[in-house]
Amino acid sequence: MADAQKKKSNKWKEIGLPLGIAVVLSGLGWYFFPPVMPHIQLPAEPVLEQPLLRLGGIWGDIYLTNTLVATLLIDVVLLGLVWAVQKAARSGDLIPRGISGVLEATLEAIYNLTETTAGKWTETIFPYFATFFLVVLIANWTELLPGVDSIGWLHHVEEGVKGFGHVGPFLMKKPGDFQVMAWVRVASTDLNFTIALALVSVFMTQVIGVRALGLPYFKKFFNIEAIFKVKPMYMGVIDFFVSILEIISEVAKIISFSFRLFGNLFAGSVMLFVLGYLVPILLQSGVLLLEAFVGIVQALVFGMLTLMFMALATHPHGGEEHGEAHA
Amino acid sequence: MEALQNLGINLGYLIVQIVNFGVMFWVLKKWAYPPIMEMLEKRRQIIAKGLEDARVAAEARANAEKEAEKILAEARAKASQIVREASERAEAVGREIKAQAEAEAARIRAEAVEAAQAERERILRELRSQVAMLAIAAAQKLIGTALDEQRQRQLLDAFFSGIEGGKVTVLDELEDAVADSAEVISALPLTEEEQETIKKNLFAKLGREIPVTFKVDPTIMGGVIIRVGDKVLDDSVSGHLQELREALI
Amino acid sequence: MDPQSIVTAAKLIGAGLAMIGAMGGGIGIGLSAHGAVQGIARNPDVAGQVQTNMILGIAFAEAVAIYCLVVALLILFVVK
Repeated sequence: MADAQKKKSNKWKEIGLPLGIAVVLSGLGWYFFPPVMPHIQLPAEPVLEQPLLRLGGIWGDIYLTNTLVATLLIDVVLLGLVWAVQKAARSGDLIPRGISGVLEATLEAIYNLTETTAGKWTETIFPYFATFFLVVLIANWTELLPGVDSIGWLHHVEEGVKGFGHVGPFLMKKPGDFQVMAWVRVASTDLNFTIALALVSVFMTQVIGVRALGLPYFKKFFNIEAIFKVKPMYMGVIDFFVSILEIISEVAKIISFSFRLFGNLFAGSVMLFVLGYLVPILLQSGVLLLEAFVGIVQALVFGMLTLMFMALATHPHGGEEHGEAHA
Repeated sequence: MEALQNLGINLGYLIVQIVNFGVMFWVLKKWAYPPIMEMLEKRRQIIAKGLEDARVAAEARANAEKEAEKILAEARAKASQIVREASERAEAVGREIKAQAEAEAARIRAEAVEAAQAERERILRELRSQVAMLAIAAAQKLIGTALDEQRQRQLLDAFFSGIEGGKVTVLDELEDAVADSAEVISALPLTEEEQETIKKNLFAKLGREIPVTFKVDPTIMGGVIIRVGDKVLDDSVSGHLQELREALI
Repeated sequence: MDPQSIVTAAKLIGAGLAMIGAMGGGIGIGLSAHGAVQGIARNPDVAGQVQTNMILGIAFAEAVAIYCLVVALLILFVVK
């Protein structure tokens, strides 16, 4: 009995003490440095005032935006993974350990999933699935890093005024008048990032379709043959228009891919920092757990949908069931 | 255009992102996936090989166990066979020895019986002439006159052998007897001629030859008893005395 | 009354109304999770497959809610 009580008290020491310290510290932080509402806007905010490239016109000027910083962070993490894998491969040690072991287990699961769906096209489709999964996962999980979305330039804002000037990196005790422009913002909350991924996914789906079926692949989109072959003729015409709908379906895929990822992550990060602004004690931790789950689910969904569409593109008469259901 | 601008979509950033993704894809495909797949394949093969080895080892062990069991069973069977054979041989030897001993004992016993029989017959045969002489001497003394010794001897022989004038008187009683063997019992051993005579008479009576055995039984005192099959022809003194007693009583 | 503030107010109300459509997505996700959990409870052996399909189904259902979000964002940030 005493033992159990001791155990219980130990547990309290283990969990309660750090929790209490965290509450006290965040309370003090709240009092002395009240949280500043981050600036909410769709386009990524430039970290540096000067544009990296001045292209103008439809290209727009390329600034070093905070999402670009996050993208570079993703690249660094991916290169680190590649380095770890190369090191593990060179050591010739077959016992999985460390980061490389985790990556191997993940990729093995992805590979098996690909194999069950893609069949003989596994070798072709697997790198896309895996890369989309890894890139999106790392992009989503940058949200969990401390400082992302919360450390940045402070901007003075006037009521109803969109313009702002840089104030400096440090928090100031003037709530209401300032907004944070974070240095790092989750890449998935930038539509450029998600649309780029969606474009690559849909475009490579077409490429794989053509590789698998040759030019007849495009019959899916312009089924002129059906007008002459299918009897009665009006059915063939209907088939033809259905095939035209396939093109719309492909466009809808791009929108759906990009906005699904963007919407989930943007909503998540907005929720995180609004909650952080309103209740800066403990509440964010729980929401972070949820966001970690959302991040992995979205990465999995992005990868798996890519896999599905690619696998369907390799089938002669596929493409309708799932494509339409999703569009 | 304005709407896209407000959503933050910018062709330049888009291309930057696409290129970035392309580069990452290429890097991962070139340097990350092949070694991992290779490692996975290697590990899979090693595991498969390990399982295969384990299977082979298990099979070998099972085989060895089976072999051992077979050998054991064979050895056991052989052992039991050897034991059985040995005990059989021992039994046979024992039986043989026993049979030999029994045969020996039987032979010795038979020899002893034969010797005793022969001795007895010899003694009785010697006795017969002495009894005859004693009887004649006693009769001479009794009646004072010497009968014709030759005659007396004949009478005595007839008394002992039941043969009168070369004929066995008692055989007259025999009627249509069917028999495979005959037995002649006399008080004292019969001479060769007497035996021959009885046989001849018997065979003449039966019309064929059958084996005849001769026995000596002093308790009948004189005369002969002839058994032919199930018939008994009693010409003995004791038989007559018995008849006499029955008649008297 | 400043006409700009009326527009702003209308925009905010419109964005809020647009997000009502997210309800449909929520119901859809709930239904798919309901079906998946029932399926797993009846046949736990195929839990992995059911989960994969459930996540895909949730993704499709969520697309509707995402469209609502897109419309809301368009109203908030794009419409002048």
